[in-house]
Amino acid sequence: MRSSTEISWKKTSSRVLWTSDWAEEMRDKLRKWREDTCRNSEQIVDVGEELISEHASKLGDDIWIIYEQVMIAALDCSRDDLALICLQELRKQFPDSHRVKRLTGMRLEALERYDEANKHYDAILQDDPTNTAARKRKISILKAQGKSTEAIRELNEYLEQFVGDQEAWHELSELYINEHDYGKAAFCLEELMMTNPHNHLYCEQYAEVKYTQGGLENLELSRKYFAQALRLNNRNMRALFGLYMSASHIAASPKVSAKVKKDNMKYAAWAATQINRAYKLAGRGTKENKCSIKAVEEMLESMQITMS
Amino acid sequence: MPIQLTSQAYCKMLLHAAKYPHSAVNGLLVAEKTKEKKKDSHSDPVLCVDCVPLFHGTLALAPMLEVALTLIDTWCKENNYIIAGYYQANERTKDSRPNQVAEKVAARISENFSDTAIVMVDSGRLTMSCFEPIVLIYDHHENKWKNREVTSDSFEDWNEAQKITSALLEGRSYENLIDFDNHLDDLRNDWTNPVINKSVLDLC
Repeated sequence: MRSSTEISWKKTSSRVLWTSDWAEEMRDKLRKWREDTCRNSEQIVDVGEELISEHASKLGDDIWIIYEQVMIAALDCSRDDLALICLQELRKQFPDSHRVKRLTGMRLEALERYDEANKHYDAILQDDPTNTAARKRKISILKAQGKSTEAIRELNEYLEQFVGDQEAWHELSELYINEHDYGKAAFCLEELMMTNPHNHLYCEQYAEVKYTQGGLENLELSRKYFAQALRLNNRNMRALFGLYMSASHIAASPKVSAKVKKDNMKYAAWAATQINRAYKLAGRGTKENKCSIKAVEEMLESMQITMS
Repeated sequence: MPIQLTSQAYCKMLLHAAKYPHSAVNGLLVAEKTKEKKKDSHSDPVLCVDCVPLFHGTLALAPMLEVALTLIDTWCKENNYIIAGYYQANERTKDSRPNQVAEKVAARISENFSDTAIVMVDSGRLTMSCFEPIVLIYDHHENKWKNREVTSDSFEDWNEAQKITSALLEGRSYENLIDFDNHLDDLRNDWTNPVINKSVLDLC
């Protein structure tokens, strides 16, 4: 709601109106990016830098969290100058904060001064052994140094203590996938699916891991989970393609019974129709996408031939 | 036969890496299909005229890669192209060697194209000015992938490639680069990147 003083302020200068609205709009944008955990660091730096240098007074208490957000984005863009400005403001305001100490550590990480960064995190953990942020930063350092085995081991130990940390389970699944340890990656995704049964992305990723593992049993499992992901979100294209691919491979396998083959050809045919439909919908009115539609149709046709 | 990169192929690889600086990225390189292999064509370079950016983030999963390979293969056939190579930029800037994913995809491409190359983007050396080429080219010799020296001969026109890539990086064109992942998120996103291709042509 606009206060009366703001309204009269607007009447006196249209330029001030634009500035005040812009600051509010950008503040809301930054909040949305925080909530969605977007890593659009260049945009955050562009918006944030101007916001904190020209409009700091209009940000209220949000300014501190904005300093933190802009600082991290600045590190991502190698803008150590901007990161330092934000960090110094935060240090002044919150001199003994662990949260700010962690940011100091992150800056050192960005400068590749990992030993010093680790010292900061160890100091936090001395003081507060339950500080999850510091532990996760230490694991990130191992990852940055290419020490995947150690990172995996530390993350496993962390999860024994903090079993509900979804972000950590997801990170672990990615680490395992990069090491081609698909069985263990699947286990992590199973944990995530259990605690988030309505999340179509976890279902779909689990299906992809199973498919990659290979073998008839895993293919059938992957088809089931691609189908489940589609039930949760019928616009998930990866799930739709995945359903098509897994069903097609099962139908083409010499090891399956005639009934299984027939069922899977049905699933694949259904998926193919849906894929074609999705492409036609997307291609409406655009000349360029016609080639995509044609390519998809041909791909589906060529796979049908291999199945029969 | 060694490969050569056009400006369009080179700049799109770098734009892809620049768009996702904190992730691994990969893609395919395509060449024009020649009618016959001449007897003495051993020294003729294979010109990679374009690239198709594939994924960013987790590269080691099979299903979407299979979809992409099949779809892009179909597209190639319509445009008289052939998939001739694979590029990848690793997640860590200090690591520019081809890994298992790169070797597996390259092996798959080799089934249809005998001189498949792996191009690794050395993102640690990525700068706005692009004053030197930052790719490493690997050829398959005696069951191993070997690094070949990259000179200006590895490009159709290095000066043009350098100029165009630098201009597009400065102009933040990478924000509009579409990879196959973006396409799967929204089918209207066109992985042939007509907008960027036009920018490249305009700068030639």
